[in-house]
Amino acid sequence: MSTATSTDVPGSTTSDRVRSVFVRELRTVARTRTFLFLGLVLVIAFLGLAWVGGGARAGYVPTIVDLLTPIELLVPIVAIAFGYRAILADGNRGELDVFETYPLEARELVAGIYAGRAIGLLGAVLIPLAYVGALVAVAREDPFGRYASHAGADSPLLFVRFVVVTALFALVVLAVALAISALANTTRSVLALAVVALVAVLVGLDLALIYGLDAGIVSESMLAESLAVSPLSAYRGLVFETIVVTAAGTGPQTATPLASVLGLLVWGVGSLAVAVWAVGR
Amino acid sequence: MTTHTRHPRSQTDQSTTDTDTETNTETQPDTRPLLEATNVAVSYGDVEVLESVSATIDRGTVTALIGPNGTGKTTLLCTLAGLSAPTGGTVEYLGPETSRQIGYLPQRPSFRPGFTVLETLEFYASLVGEDREKALERLELVGLEAAAGRQVEALSGGMTRLVGIAQATIGDPPVIVLDEPASGLDPGMRGHVFDIAGELAASGTAVLLSSHDLGLVERTADHVLLLDDGTICRRGSPATLQETLEVDSLRAVYEQSIAGDLHTVSVRGERS
Repeated sequence: MSTATSTDVPGSTTSDRVRSVFVRELRTVARTRTFLFLGLVLVIAFLGLAWVGGGARAGYVPTIVDLLTPIELLVPIVAIAFGYRAILADGNRGELDVFETYPLEARELVAGIYAGRAIGLLGAVLIPLAYVGALVAVAREDPFGRYASHAGADSPLLFVRFVVVTALFALVVLAVALAISALANTTRSVLALAVVALVAVLVGLDLALIYGLDAGIVSESMLAESLAVSPLSAYRGLVFETIVVTAAGTGPQTATPLASVLGLLVWGVGSLAVAVWAVGR
Repeated sequence: MTTHTRHPRSQTDQSTTDTDTETNTETQPDTRPLLEATNVAVSYGDVEVLESVSATIDRGTVTALIGPNGTGKTTLLCTLAGLSAPTGGTVEYLGPETSRQIGYLPQRPSFRPGFTVLETLEFYASLVGEDREKALERLELVGLEAAAGRQVEALSGGMTRLVGIAQATIGDPPVIVLDEPASGLDPGMRGHVFDIAGELAASGTAVLLSSHDLGLVERTADHVLLLDDGTICRRGSPATLQETLEVDSLRAVYEQSIAGDLHTVSVRGERS
């Protein structure tokens, strides 16, 4: 995107410029009340669901099962909210044009924006989950084993694993949101694209998989791997395979963890690549 | 931007040339242009906005681009600033290799809300390795240091434009492009903005600006490019243009040179 001499210039390296953009995003997130509000909503929702569903008193894994479906809905919405205007707003103000006269590459801009927004998003998602973890630790009625070394064991480490997988899912949806923000030209179009992306992530790709299975496009033997095509199914599959099945014992294979991780990484990296291309076009 | 080429000199070559230039400037001024447009054409689909525009932008001068609304001034400025590629012709930057070659003020400058003026300039300054002190110096240049702690969304239109001009000077680019820097300002502020342009040119910067304030253009500009119907129909210093047309003001030059009705906006691609 830059017309100026890019890469390293006197007094400014790539990492300097990424850091500058990152700090700007971080300040934006910290000063935007909407993001704080979204974090509070998640705190209330997660704690409420964990308590009302009874999971908090039963243990970490029951809590994860109680939270899984609401998280599948809420995390993509919050992630889209954090990212859908991040690049578009700069474009609407004409600041992307001004950036072109600086030695700031599209990839540096996207990296800085993504890193800054990611910190905010992780704060909004992980802090509520930390509260839930603390609630379970306090409210659990039976003692639990520290390590889930055998089937049927409940453990805070399984909850930590759940938190990590949820963070990965949130980061992937944020990357999708940035791609949308970079592709859209107007606020109206970004809203439409955001809704389309949400529908696609939440139900569209799963429905496509079901259709593919029904039509014979996806074979039953490849179903576990095919689920990785949808970020939501990949996330759900990871939760089941690496957390729920670990605690509950053996059962039918619901997904392939490696394929699920790869699927999420492809969605994340691919979306960021689209964002870089769209900013630089 | 394949058509917005840069000077091919290496850093070593450049330092050598600069040393030579410094020596030479004692005997003769450096008259090489910093920006050169050759037969530039810009089309949007079937609509040709610019046709075969050639111009050079020289160091240490204020070049003013004037012309009726809708005649392609902003398109030409964006093309010369390297923000959009021409569909024909070339734009070449011939100045020294610097961290920022061209500074740019958009027609409607706007900044991310939630930040103070100083924070905003500090951010832009950090992109070229400049610090807070340098950002403050830019604010002092435009006389806005008193507003350093004010939120950008709380600034008036004129103050926002001044912040935009301060932003355009960050990194000391050899060329600064200002799209209607005086638009919407009161007479005092307009004069102030043109004074800043003159000061920048006096320090060796090539300033290219567009404006409808012909009085200030006449007072400040070293060169005038009169754009009409997508082409440059007149060029030269204000005095030369007046002499050529035997009139006593730039306004008279403008009125004599514009082909269409002065009271109707000419829309490129539309013919009544």
